[in-house]
Amino acid sequence: MIPVAHPREAFPLSPEGGRIPHSSEQPSGPDTRPWVLRFAVLPDSARATALPPALYDEDRQISVGVDTDLLPYMQTHSPTIPDGSPANPPPLDEGPKD
Amino acid sequence: MPTVLVIAARDDWPTDRVVKTLDERGATVFRMDAAEFPEEAGLAARIDDSHGWAGGVVTSHRELDLADVSACYFRTPHPFRFAEGMSDAERRFAAAQARAGFGGILTALDCRWVSHPSAMSRAEYKPYQLAAARECGLTLPPTLITNRPDAVQAFAGDIPGTIICKPVASPVFIEGDQLKAVYTRVLTEDDLGDLTGMETTAHLFQAWVDKAYEVRLTMAGDRPFAAEVHSDTKAGYTDWRSDYKSLTYKPTAPPPDVIERVRALMHRLELRFGALDFVVSPAGEWTFLEVNPCGQWDWIQHATGHPIAEGIADELLGVTE
Ligand SMILES: Nc1ncnc2c1ncn2[C@@H]1O[C@H](COP(=O)(O)OP(=O)(O)OP(=O)(O)O)[C@@H](O)[C@H]1O
Ligand SMILES: [Mg+2]
Repeated sequence: MIPVAHPREAFPLSPEGGRIPHSSEQPSGPDTRPWVLRFAVLPDSARATALPPALYDEDRQISVGVDTDLLPYMQTHSPTIPDGSPANPPPLDEGPKD
Repeated sequence: MPTVLVIAARDDWPTDRVVKTLDERGATVFRMDAAEFPEEAGLAARIDDSHGWAGGVVTSHRELDLADVSACYFRTPHPFRFAEGMSDAERRFAAAQARAGFGGILTALDCRWVSHPSAMSRAEYKPYQLAAARECGLTLPPTLITNRPDAVQAFAGDIPGTIICKPVASPVFIEGDQLKAVYTRVLTEDDLGDLTGMETTAHLFQAWVDKAYEVRLTMAGDRPFAAEVHSDTKAGYTDWRSDYKSLTYKPTAPPPDVIERVRALMHRLELRFGALDFVVSPAGEWTFLEVNPCGQWDWIQHATGHPIAEGIADELLGVTE
């Protein structure tokens, strides 16, 4: 059976190897580079939010703080801002997209 | 006992807020991430002529009987995790089997979904959203999707004002070991003078909508939670995601006809949650930009006091106003 759609579509998961696939390659030439990418920018890393350390509590089924009674979700409310680090990709508003 | 199944990444903290709210309401919650399957979670389910899928999922901490699931909250789970020793070929094979097997059993559940994964995937496509929004009577900016330079020139000529370009799909990518983003670009004459590379893929162009401010409208079921988004910088004014620091928020109430049309849109897209972006003109007209089936909402709750987590919990528990 040759699937017509990627099976992820009916059960979307974040892609293997992280939300955004990693690449070390440099931009190609103007004839092969998508036009809109000339406007690509490096997001400002100074805006990134530092996340407090957290552990997952299997009983409560939520993350709990380390050395604090504050629950992690109560400590961060900023939208996850891309900070230019490939190790910390943002969810932005995206769901399961390609 | 009626159970709310939560399928989400463990580190998705806004989901914690929903779990906690459900817990406080006395609901039974079974939370798991797809990454727990197959190594930390066991699945067994049967179907035959006399019974639909029956069985469940068991982890070292709890057990789920599929028959008990009254609702399911779905929020981009991580991919399945397989044994270290597997070859790449085996892993790919196993991943496809897990999606169709584990994912297939769960998506076959006939329960309240926020939202059903297939509906979320389908609704991710901007062209599909725009067509549906138009059918539901929402106002949209004239839009062109093309890989043809001549079509771009023609569109720019037909639109009386400025036009913008923005990605049709994900705006972020990693290249040269750096994460980059493409925000909404207000196009200048110079930009339009060199369209080299247009042919390489699909591009989205839109009329710039005259903007007093923007609105992020979060829908939890039929309930609207709207926040005005104001920016005092040029970058934030053009595309609010490019300058979060410049933003201020204010709770607001959308016009009744907009709410009606948004409910119709959600119904059409079969979504029970959505984060919608609107531009509001100086004259007060609302123009639809997009709906994010899996949009972030926690910071809006924090900035406005809108009880969005509570709204999601209500929807999962079938509570109506
Ligand atoms: N036609 C337009 N007129 C004015 N501003 C616009 C227009 N299109 C987009 N914008 C600005 O750019 C922002 C991002 O655009 P939009 O929400 O349509 O796509 P997106 O957020 O890139 O989608 P995704 O969810 O794929 O990341 C909007 O919130 C708004 O600030
Ligand atoms: Mg948006």
